[in-house]
Amino acid sequence: MSPLVNFHLFWTWRWAIAAGAETTLLLGATALVISLAFGVLGWLLKSSRRRALATAGSAYVELFRNTPTLVFLYLCYFGLPEISVRLDAFWYAALALGVQGGAYVAEIIRGAFSAVSPGQRLAARALGLSAWQSLRLVELPQTFAVAFPSLGNQVVATVLGTALASVITVPELTYRLQVIGDSTYQYFSVFAAAALVYIVLVQLLNQLFQELDRRRFRMWRGRL
Amino acid sequence: MQRTLAYGLLMIRAAGTTLEVSVLALLLAVIVGLVVGMIGTSGWKPAELLTRLYVELVRSVPLLVLVFFAYYAVPLATSLTVSPYMAATGALAVYGGAYMAEVVRSGIRSVGRGQWEAARALGLGYAGIMRLVVLPQAIRVMVPAGIGVFINLIKDSSVTSIIGFVELTQTAINIRNTVFSLDPIFFAGLLYFFICFGLSRAGRSIELRVRGREGG
Repeated sequence: MSPLVNFHLFWTWRWAIAAGAETTLLLGATALVISLAFGVLGWLLKSSRRRALATAGSAYVELFRNTPTLVFLYLCYFGLPEISVRLDAFWYAALALGVQGGAYVAEIIRGAFSAVSPGQRLAARALGLSAWQSLRLVELPQTFAVAFPSLGNQVVATVLGTALASVITVPELTYRLQVIGDSTYQYFSVFAAAALVYIVLVQLLNQLFQELDRRRFRMWRGRL
Repeated sequence: MQRTLAYGLLMIRAAGTTLEVSVLALLLAVIVGLVVGMIGTSGWKPAELLTRLYVELVRSVPLLVLVFFAYYAVPLATSLTVSPYMAATGALAVYGGAYMAEVVRSGIRSVGRGQWEAARALGLGYAGIMRLVVLPQAIRVMVPAGIGVFINLIKDSSVTSIIGFVELTQTAINIRNTVFSLDPIFFAGLLYFFICFGLSRAGRSIELRVRGREGG
């Protein structure tokens, strides 16, 4: 009977674990870029004055916030090849996680933008700034400062969400450790290791965002 | 045509399974959340630290890893026989419990210090203060946030399909594998949407009513 926690295993498979963590971070970063783009787009659509565009924006946000990521991932993985979009599994996962995450990002930006007081715009206009200058120099920087903590949480959620990509055989952390588990039957060690790596990654990200927030963004929120 | 109907009914029943597991996990999560949340606001530092550790750790691990752990690792560690149903419910309960603990904690924190002091001045002990003064007020904050946790549990329960638990998502995949069409997956998405969107609407109206009562 082998021990429950097999430290030797971690050392033997260290490069596989490192490669998995690398793919996890790369997939997370790619999905994040896509979700930021879709988030901004969704926000702009939803706050459009044209009824049709606003409805499309709301539909996007509500649809993706009320359905599981896994279902959309399967839809991309099985559906896109049927319309002749053949990609590496990595890109199906990035696309699915990114488009889904965009709905949350759109809500974060919308909430933050409406939290910036209308007095800021009035003051900017009173100082002689144009509407565009007011947006660019006064409103958007404050929107970003307000949104920053929620965006940080969204980054963490995206990184944790990449574990689902293992289902469509993207060789990220969970997938690689599951494969090791299947060949060694050391499931306890393997999933404990997976949890540990995720915990380290997430805590590092949290620390980074807290530090950035403390240094650059918190002061902006106090003055709204 | 008849086959489509049969598959449709099969999926609606599978949505029932998804709801069943989600409700069961929610009940367990509420119990875990109440206990952990109350310990977390007890003022006894070591216990508070322990509850923070639980919440932080669970929120730093993907649900999929928790589900795998419950299904593959727990039987190795404990010689229990774990069915996919048990693993799914257990993992979702531990996961939801961490989020529920935060809901309970912020609910309790939302009740002002003065309420505690007044209740203590009236001679109530901890249990009495919690049951008669703090929780009835905290529930206004807790119910809308708790509905949010429930919605997430329903959506996240799809992850349990990966250990072979045949709920809505897995049923859709099984049907897809026989009919080779995307329709089952679309239909699954639609069912999830109806359930979750309906719940979030209900949650919003409860929230508004509670706020209205506070104003009046």
